[in-house]
Amino acid sequence: MSVKEPLIRVEDLKKEFTGVHALNGVSTKICRGEVVFVVGPSGSGKSTFLRCLNRLEDPTSGHIYFDGVDLLDKKVNINRHRQKMGMVFQHFNLFPHMTVLRNMTIAPMKLQGVSREEAEKEAMKLLERVGLADRAGAYPSQLSGGQKQRVAIVRALCMKPEVMLFDEPTSALDPEMVGEVLQVMGELAKENMTMVVVTHEMGFAKEVAHRVLFMAEGQILEEGPPAEFFANPKNERLKAFLSKVI
Amino acid sequence: MIQSLMDRIQFNFIDGDRWVYLADGLKNTLIMTVFALLLGLVIGFLIAIVRSTHDKTGSLRVLNLFCKVYLTVIRGTPVLVQLLICYFVILVNTGLPKVAIAFIAFGLNSGAYVAEIIRSGIMSIDNGQFEAGRSLGFNYVQTMIFIILPQALKNVLPALGNEFIVLLKETSVAGYIAIADLTKGGDIIRSRTFDAFMPLITVAIIYLVMVLTFSKLLSILERRLRNNER
Repeated sequence: MSVKEPLIRVEDLKKEFTGVHALNGVSTKICRGEVVFVVGPSGSGKSTFLRCLNRLEDPTSGHIYFDGVDLLDKKVNINRHRQKMGMVFQHFNLFPHMTVLRNMTIAPMKLQGVSREEAEKEAMKLLERVGLADRAGAYPSQLSGGQKQRVAIVRALCMKPEVMLFDEPTSALDPEMVGEVLQVMGELAKENMTMVVVTHEMGFAKEVAHRVLFMAEGQILEEGPPAEFFANPKNERLKAFLSKVI
Repeated sequence: MIQSLMDRIQFNFIDGDRWVYLADGLKNTLIMTVFALLLGLVIGFLIAIVRSTHDKTGSLRVLNLFCKVYLTVIRGTPVLVQLLICYFVILVNTGLPKVAIAFIAFGLNSGAYVAEIIRSGIMSIDNGQFEAGRSLGFNYVQTMIFIILPQALKNVLPALGNEFIVLLKETSVAGYIAIADLTKGGDIIRSRTFDAFMPLITVAIIYLVMVLTFSKLLSILERRLRNNER
């Protein structure tokens, strides 16, 4: 056991949907500041794995230790811990009845007792960073897909999370909007944010990831640093997968 | 022709201050409608939350069953029968004023319909909204209050408005338990003057004007809420 406890430690995680084993014993560790990419064919369980991490999906068995606390313990207040785990969805899921600014300030104000001025100041700072300060008063329906996803990212950041979970953040975007979202994510990685990213953007994974996991049939079949992972895959399934997507 | 019309108005409404029947009746109709509406909204709201929570999470089994029985009974029997049962069977010895008994009966009835309207609104909101709320750290109730319900209510506003209109007109059966509502007021005048046309048409026009006014207000409100977004 290392001196430093990893931020997230997953042990033998299993998830069964009526008769289907979506996760079949997944174990891994994610350290602070680490950027982990999860790739694999569709139906491999990678999204389920990510959604289990903050228990949007309830695992059937196993353990997830976040900051030393087992999230699957019945007595754990999951809402508390979710505040420290930001999540970005494929379909953005911005709140359509609120302005961009309100989308970002409602959670810190209601959950962390941050004052309105404070929350708005922080939100504006983040909007500035992603180049959307002039859209603060707009409603989500007035934004492009890339803008929506950038807002979704900074909305999660407003809670000052310790880890950011990305569930195929660019899969629902027009090709010309993918770049702006990846750029924001790349900057986040540079600032040492702990990130778990499920994606099909292999080029981006090569560039940003510290470690890449390959999942198929609910298991991690291979993992390693991107240079090794992409140049020298060992698992047959991974070789077949990479030959198709690259 | 005009003179005879004026005479009939004079005879039906002015003589013997018979217009008071309509004014008092209107007052009772409005009291019953407003209180029944409030009661219906509260009941409907609670049932909708229970039912959609059960649909989403599978919890609250017993409460859900209770709500389902309630919906089945209320929606499966005529409102007039429910009113009569409330008055002559359930609340007979409570000493409550008749108008109160009536708005309880109408409220219980309306609640069943409001419940299904609100539930349909909640279920129409994409599950991603729910997940986004939960992922930020909101608990189930907070997610409902801050994120789901505001969107759901806006979506079902036209249907709720419709339910209000139905309720307003439904109170016209209150005469069955001898409440002097607007309809009964017109009918009393008819029985005094033996002129059916004037009082009944007048009553119809008053209902129509109320419904039109309400519809107009509702469409203004709807437009306001939409403008907020697009």
